[in-house]
Amino acid sequence: MDMKDLELQVRPMLIAGRGAEVEAMVRPLLASGTGPVTLWALLAQALRVQGRVLEARPIQEMLVDALPGHLSTRFDLAETLLLLGEFERGWREYAYRYSLAHTTRIERKVQRPRWDGRPIPGKTLLIHDEQGYGDTFQFMRMVAWAKEKSQANVILEINHETASLARRMKGFDAMTVRGELPPYFDVHAEMMSLPMIMGLKLSDLPGEPMPYLSALPERREQWRKRLAPYQGLKVAFLWAGRPTHFNDANRSMSLEMLAPLAQEGVTLFSVQKGPKEEQALNPPAAMGKHVVSLSPEIKDFEDTAAILMEVDLLISIDSSPVHLAGALGRPAWVMLPLLPDWRWLQKRDDTPWYPTVRLFRQTEWGQWGPVIDRVAGALAEFKKAKGQG
Amino acid sequence: MNTQPQTTMTVEQALGQAHAHWNAGQADQAERLCQHVLALWPGQSDALHLMGLMAHAYGNLDLAIDHLRRACQAPRVPAVYLSNLGEMCRQRGLLAEAEVAARRAVTMDNALVAGWNNLGIILQEAGKLEDSLSCLERVVALQPTYAEAHNNLGNTLKRMGRLDQARQRYEYALSLTPAYAEAQSNLANLLNDLGRPDEALAAARKAIDLNPRLSDAYINAAAVELGRNRNEEALRWIDALLSYAPLHAGALTVRATALRHLERLEEALADARRAVAAQADNGEAQNVLGEVLQALGHPEEALVAFDKAAKTLGFAPEKALINRGVLFMERGDKVQAKAAFDQVVAQFPRSASAWFNLSDLHRFQAGDPAIAKMESLLYGPDSVQSQTDRTALNFALGKAWMDLGDGERAFAHLNEGNRQKRATFAYDAAATSRWMADIATSFPAAAFQGPKSAVAGSDLAVFVLGMPRSGTTLIEQILASHPAVTAAGELSALNNLVNQLGPYPQIAGHLTPEILGGLGQRYLDVIRPLAGSHRRVVDKMPSNFLFSGLINLALPDARIIHVRRDPVDTCLSCYTKLFTREQLFTYDLAELGQFHRAYERLMDHWRAVLPADRFLEVQYEAVVDDLEGQSRRMVEFCGLAWDPVCLDFHTTQRTIRTASLNQVRQPLFRSSIGRWKPFAAQLTPLLTALGIDPNAPEAPPEAVAEVVAAPAKKAAPKKAAAAKKAEAPAAEVAPAAPVAEEGAKPARSRRKPAAS
Repeated sequence: MDMKDLELQVRPMLIAGRGAEVEAMVRPLLASGTGPVTLWALLAQALRVQGRVLEARPIQEMLVDALPGHLSTRFDLAETLLLLGEFERGWREYAYRYSLAHTTRIERKVQRPRWDGRPIPGKTLLIHDEQGYGDTFQFMRMVAWAKEKSQANVILEINHETASLARRMKGFDAMTVRGELPPYFDVHAEMMSLPMIMGLKLSDLPGEPMPYLSALPERREQWRKRLAPYQGLKVAFLWAGRPTHFNDANRSMSLEMLAPLAQEGVTLFSVQKGPKEEQALNPPAAMGKHVVSLSPEIKDFEDTAAILMEVDLLISIDSSPVHLAGALGRPAWVMLPLLPDWRWLQKRDDTPWYPTVRLFRQTEWGQWGPVIDRVAGALAEFKKAKGQG
Repeated sequence: MNTQPQTTMTVEQALGQAHAHWNAGQADQAERLCQHVLALWPGQSDALHLMGLMAHAYGNLDLAIDHLRRACQAPRVPAVYLSNLGEMCRQRGLLAEAEVAARRAVTMDNALVAGWNNLGIILQEAGKLEDSLSCLERVVALQPTYAEAHNNLGNTLKRMGRLDQARQRYEYALSLTPAYAEAQSNLANLLNDLGRPDEALAAARKAIDLNPRLSDAYINAAAVELGRNRNEEALRWIDALLSYAPLHAGALTVRATALRHLERLEEALADARRAVAAQADNGEAQNVLGEVLQALGHPEEALVAFDKAAKTLGFAPEKALINRGVLFMERGDKVQAKAAFDQVVAQFPRSASAWFNLSDLHRFQAGDPAIAKMESLLYGPDSVQSQTDRTALNFALGKAWMDLGDGERAFAHLNEGNRQKRATFAYDAAATSRWMADIATSFPAAAFQGPKSAVAGSDLAVFVLGMPRSGTTLIEQILASHPAVTAAGELSALNNLVNQLGPYPQIAGHLTPEILGGLGQRYLDVIRPLAGSHRRVVDKMPSNFLFSGLINLALPDARIIHVRRDPVDTCLSCYTKLFTREQLFTYDLAELGQFHRAYERLMDHWRAVLPADRFLEVQYEAVVDDLEGQSRRMVEFCGLAWDPVCLDFHTTQRTIRTASLNQVRQPLFRSSIGRWKPFAAQLTPLLTALGIDPNAPEAPPEAVAEVVAAPAKKAAPKKAAAAKKAEAPAAEVAPAAPVAEEGAKPARSRRKPAAS
């Protein structure tokens, strides 16, 4: 079969998680141990989709070795290495995140050199955040570490939505909001380049201080009152990510699927934002009396942070409130797809990034049912432990 | 969020903010402010300059140049804008405009470091090396820690042939900026020239690790592999580069060369043509196109390409002129060839390659000024430093002193040249000997009693084989003079087809009539298009002697002519030649002797097992003594009627592509018989390996008839303990033009235009 045709046929299968079928198609073509690059890349992805990341790794390393200038292959390798906790090379290859077909145009062409990790007392370092809110919440912790290591005057440039939370964090000298003209600086670093520049290791996590974000007292007060009428266990929850996220189909679910969480003595507070938030206003009958939507009342992340402080638990798909909860030191349970984002590592139900976060992983592609059953079981126990069952 | 240009803002404020936004990577805001200024003040120089810098950063070079040209029309244009225009024009290949702009910049501001640096690179590319050197020396004097300037200085010194100094500059640049990919890549290129291929490759790899999109580093890595004849490895580097830059002219050029070496000539031609199409003024690409066309037998078109290459800048013209000379040489036009090489040495007096080729055409006389010139290039105060150049000069001087009969001096140079060449590759002589013994064992007499391939028409093929330098070219020329015969040159087709079957000779155990038939058929498919109306096609790849038995099994009606020549004369001739492609066994006298012994044993075996009507042996010396008798014998063996035109073989109008090409054009010369005798003292390691006592009374030359009639009694070769695969000695010979191998080029520093 022509390589192009094969790829056209196989790509949608991979997106649908049909890794085993693709593997069965591709393996025989590579039986001799040699074959075109495209085939090897497809095999690596077929293995990843089955969660067999360790087996994909040597193939991806071979591809990078053969085609060092093929940068999307390097980014793919970065995801695999980081998922395996191989931080050193993982962060280096992650530097190619702006060398992909859909990212080259969004790379910010800062005209000052990038900080190289050495102390630069007396100089000014601009640290700027990048795309997702989750990324920003997760990597904000490194700003203070960068300040300490660089001994520089640190300017933090951050997106408008998370700026007010970031403002109360320590470890920088000035803040500027994305889009505004930052003050003069000598060197810069993308926030997600800090791990590479500073050689971040797994053992450095979660790092100090922990938690590193805090909610506004007046907002907490406001939400405490709002939640006071509800008895029993208070659980914030959300079920859908930003629909434009490249992996959204894989990480999001539907509200109905969470019915097993509607348990006696539990109130489920929707903190879902975006196009799906209205679903919680008219929840399925089985969940009806347990679900309260806070979504329309949430104006910003300060509200979300305050809610997370006032509820007992967050149950969520892989989305930014999870990181906010983790950074606030609040309990959060995350439901993860079989092939999760690299930051959740593999084969563990905790995360070194956030001591209060617990992971519930899919064991089969696309199958949320068993995951939700386990979460429901854990919720029942949690309720019992809290003495509210 | 965005800074909106406010109507109250002055032009100065708007420009200040625009620059600050751009420094922070906020292109939208910077552009909006520039447009605002330009709306108020069309042609405002600073705004246009900043627009140009942004266009450049986003890869729009033509647009950037357009902005900068207009920015530089302002009456008060700052020097740095001119300097940036110069650099962008250089990147676009507009060297004349670049030089004017950069010179204006430094005239305006004598202390503008970036201006002198840019001018230095422009002059370097324009081939004005002395001027470039003084510019760049000024830069490092003004700013001693400027790593890019040291790198650029290294490139200029390299082009001047001052390799040691260049190396110091690259290393200094790297000490200032260890992660400097361009300097690593340039160092790789230099180390290869200095004859350190392993270190060169390591440096190129490092450069690619630092910047996986540094194309020059891939090209330099490929050049290292081309230089040691690892063409497949070279292709891998180039394919890695083409995977992200499919129209890179330099990459296509190097790939064409690797493919030409692998005799994949049609593919080579396609790549060379694409390279020229991508960049018509790329002299390297034109040269390679010419070389491929020449290999395909289109000398007129090749000359056109060489002439185009000769008119470009950089290293290409020297190579182009040498290529012209080699082309004339292959055509047999010695007068024009000599004139061409004379022109090269006049224009490029330090061209070792030109001297090397010239020496082959030139009969040296006592007191020849050419000798003094070559010696000064080797030993003078400003000697050449490239290892391949020094090797070539040693071979040329060896030839010169042999012409003059001075064995001591001749061998001083030959030994040095061969030692230098031998140091560039690994070769296991003992393993090669064992391998040849294994070949004999794998094709015992019984193998020729069984069924053979049933392929039809195999009498088309005539193989002329033997040691390199044994006279195979002469035999081919005699045969090719016959109207029913055409010569295909030295084909690697059989070698390639055998390799496709598996490791040789282990495959011998699995040969069925079907496999043999397939092999024979595929070989005939290769030569049939070359045959035209001729009844015989001569393939004179000498190393096919390794496959004699397999030839008989796969092509039962093919004729094999084994050319024999005095062993010492043969080996001496090999030793005095610097082959373009690797003849791994010819650069050490003892290894040469050892190889020859193993070859003789293998040929003893073939003689014993092959049918006499398919395997003929011809003694070179006998042909010289009795041209007609031996020629008749060969023609008859080929199943053809005698034609006296064979005796005028030296007028055959056919291009010849081997190291022997200056000899077969002459009528037979006896000077090549017993040539070694005066040099016996220098040949001791060879004579020892061959088991020849130089003081023994002269034995009468072995009669050819005896050779043919004395088969069978040889003891069967000892069974080899294990079938260990040795590297097949690639016994191909190609035109003796050790032109500095193609493709390698120093990367220039990609200096970002400085903002004001």
